[in-house]
Amino acid sequence: MIELAQNIIDGFGRGSIYALLALGVAVIFGVMHLLNFAHGELITVSGYVTFWAISAGWSWYIMVPLIIFTAVATSLLIEFVAFSRVRGAGDFTLLLTSFGVHFVVSAIFLLYVSASVKTFNRPGWVTNTYSVGSLNVEVFDTVVIGVTALALLGTTLLLQRTMFGLALRAAAADFDTARLMGVRSNLVIRGAFALSGFLAGIAGVFWLMRAGSTTPTAGIDPMLKGVLAALIGGLGSLRGAVLGGFTLGLAEVLLRSRLPDSVAGLTEGVVFVLIAVLFIFRPQGLLTVAHAERV
Amino acid sequence: MFPDLRRDVAFPLVGAVGIFIAVVAGGALYQGILGGAAERLVTIALIDAIIVVGIQIYVGNTGILSFGHIGFGAIAGYTFAVLAISPEQKAGRIPDAPLGLADVAMGPWPALAIAVLVTVLVAVVIGIGLARSGAESGAVAATVITLALLFVTHEVARNWPELTGGDRAGLSFSIGGALDSRIPIYGALLLAIVIARLYRQSRSGRLAVAAREDNLAARAMGVNPLVQQMVALLISVAVVSVGAGLRVYENGSILPDNFFFDLTLVTLVMLIVGGRNSVTGAIVGVVVMTAGRELARRLGQEGFEIFGLGLDGAPLDWIFRENLQTVFLGVAMLGFMIWRPSGLLGDWEFDEWLRRRLARDDKTEPESRPPTKAEATDVLVADEVSVSFGGFQALDRAGLSARAGEVVGIIGPNGAGKTTLVNVVTGMVEPTSGSVTVNGTDLTSAPPFEIARNGLVRTFQNLRLFNSLTVRENVEVSTLVARSHRGERDLPTVDQLVAAAGLWPHRDRRAGELDYGNSRRLELARAAGMVPTFLLLDEPTSGMSDTESLAMIEQVRGMADLVGAGAIVIDHDLNFITGICDRIYCLDQGRVIAEGTPNEIRADPVVQSAYLGTAAAT
Repeated sequence: MIELAQNIIDGFGRGSIYALLALGVAVIFGVMHLLNFAHGELITVSGYVTFWAISAGWSWYIMVPLIIFTAVATSLLIEFVAFSRVRGAGDFTLLLTSFGVHFVVSAIFLLYVSASVKTFNRPGWVTNTYSVGSLNVEVFDTVVIGVTALALLGTTLLLQRTMFGLALRAAAADFDTARLMGVRSNLVIRGAFALSGFLAGIAGVFWLMRAGSTTPTAGIDPMLKGVLAALIGGLGSLRGAVLGGFTLGLAEVLLRSRLPDSVAGLTEGVVFVLIAVLFIFRPQGLLTVAHAERV
Repeated sequence: MFPDLRRDVAFPLVGAVGIFIAVVAGGALYQGILGGAAERLVTIALIDAIIVVGIQIYVGNTGILSFGHIGFGAIAGYTFAVLAISPEQKAGRIPDAPLGLADVAMGPWPALAIAVLVTVLVAVVIGIGLARSGAESGAVAATVITLALLFVTHEVARNWPELTGGDRAGLSFSIGGALDSRIPIYGALLLAIVIARLYRQSRSGRLAVAAREDNLAARAMGVNPLVQQMVALLISVAVVSVGAGLRVYENGSILPDNFFFDLTLVTLVMLIVGGRNSVTGAIVGVVVMTAGRELARRLGQEGFEIFGLGLDGAPLDWIFRENLQTVFLGVAMLGFMIWRPSGLLGDWEFDEWLRRRLARDDKTEPESRPPTKAEATDVLVADEVSVSFGGFQALDRAGLSARAGEVVGIIGPNGAGKTTLVNVVTGMVEPTSGSVTVNGTDLTSAPPFEIARNGLVRTFQNLRLFNSLTVRENVEVSTLVARSHRGERDLPTVDQLVAAAGLWPHRDRRAGELDYGNSRRLELARAAGMVPTFLLLDEPTSGMSDTESLAMIEQVRGMADLVGAGAIVIDHDLNFITGICDRIYCLDQGRVIAEGTPNEIRADPVVQSAYLGTAAAT
């Protein structure tokens, strides 16, 4: 019982980060029908910025805004350099373009930094815990869950209460019609990339605090989590993406603690298989999005 | 299996041999100039070519991006290695292998055969998952599943050391020395090219390509895309498995990272640079990217040098660095996606070019075919059909019935529910209640391809042709389906249909190049190719001038007579539809408000009020 409660707290901590990543993926999928395999690169770039800044003696208090700024700027830059040129192209082109961006970014770090792992100091409180009854709760998880809740609330308000949010939701529902109604496509798409970058930035702060290192291919892992969580929730659904993130986080933590030691290394593999099974029984993901084709 | 032996078998075989000879000669030439060091590069390129051609079979024909083929390769590679390594060597590396695999002694070729078999069996399971999710959420979901497959195989390979030797040591072996002859590689490559070309030309390949071009239209023509995609996947995985097995054999070892991201990237870039829709393109991609990567690697390591004039330390130093080839791959992928997504060759095939050059098309326009007598017993009944979208009631207990041989009109103002009714009848919209039957067979909520095979075939209001296929090939798709599902009827040939539609002069042009009127006529001919019991035509004259419309009416009548089908025509032009129909249904706000002969409809006060407002009715 205690163990289960412990797992659930850990799972929510992990799931919060996934939810932020997945929401960023879903926002872009909504406006561009692009499944962004380059989403993790925002964290790769932020990781190197963190490495350089921490090495130069900067404190983590400055890192937080710096990482978020880096992620937003990178997101907008990638949109400008690559995605703006393939708007409206077919799924195949969009998918491979984002994959290409992923490879180019990691190759640039491989070329100009090196393939080796770059480590940096993590803030001291990351490993601290406190007790509630017989539960050991990580300070880190508490902060992650709290900040994520605020970020999700903020995003909800942005989407529901502002003109930009309305435009974005309209564009996600039907991009062409939204344009005809006077929604400016450039503005919405760049806004979506900025929002996606901002969410990835917050996730990135936590991701890097926990990892304490980066490599040229560090983006693959967060990208996969974000993409898979968005898919679990139902592609195109923002609520589904958040739900998918928490589901994925909980599933990972629960599996890791329940699987026998001999196969514990296969946790991720088992998660993938479970996702495949989910798709066989519920191909549209957890939340259904109506996207009937007009004929 | 092959519609035309000369076009679909003979020429592809000749073409495959031609491509193969060119590749082998090119490799030998390169090796001859650069000597021994180039030998391994050529060998690897030949094996890469097998894998890339294998991937092309799936990705090219279905249009679904797969990251998972290298994952299948990993399964094949490990199966091959575990089986082919001698028991003595296995006792050293993996003594605890499950299922008694540690004691298996087997020659390399039986091991490869079993590896292919095992991998294909895994592909069946994965293929079902792909089909289910792909049908619901489209190709994007399928792509993510293939990506997940790649990661699962990698994870398993890393974390199951009892079987795979683990992350760092891997499995290495000597099977009487590594692969020391190129003959097996040559054989496999030739076979891969032949299989890829023959598959593309086969019935299954043609139907898969139709679904790639327009999934919905293919289903409306009786194609079940999931079946064809599965066939493509299995053939494709078999070819990739052979390539992967040879790669392990040649390398003499296998590690989890051998079949992961790097190889996925390399093979995909080769495929898209050459042109994913073409087998010739896949080969060209392998050649171009192998050469380009080698050049980038050398530039990265040794810097730039022409005629002994070194540019090292010069301004280009910032780009000629170690690992340049990785950047080169990424930039190639990105660049081609942005500026030339169809690759260098598009869908150009060597053997098709050869055929156009050598075989003159001296066919004359076929004689027009005598009309087929409709079987007057065929009856279509849609009864009490209701559909609501959210809160909006699109159809409210609407219905119609039609007998073969008659032309039935559906008329009504915009938004009356005409297209929705046709969508329900053809299985594209699920009714909230009501039923659709043909000759008593209940087809309510059956999948569109099933309905099409039962004789209800439609055209679309907004054109949906298979754009990159020629006029003939468009019609061929439906005649191929008709041959297996409507074979009891008297089937017209492709050429007869094309000629009847007045498209004979355009028969070898791509559908995407046709003008509007010809596109409409092609849709009609394609639908007629199914030899349907009923043709459902959704606004066949929309956007046409009066004269064009009159010609179209003749065309519709002629085509329906040719195949002995009844026709159900949607339009909102009262005058037009009363001119061609035997009977008319008038819809308004989802309800049938009148039914009768053209004269009755014209005189009906309810129809007049729906069309002209209440004032006119009084």
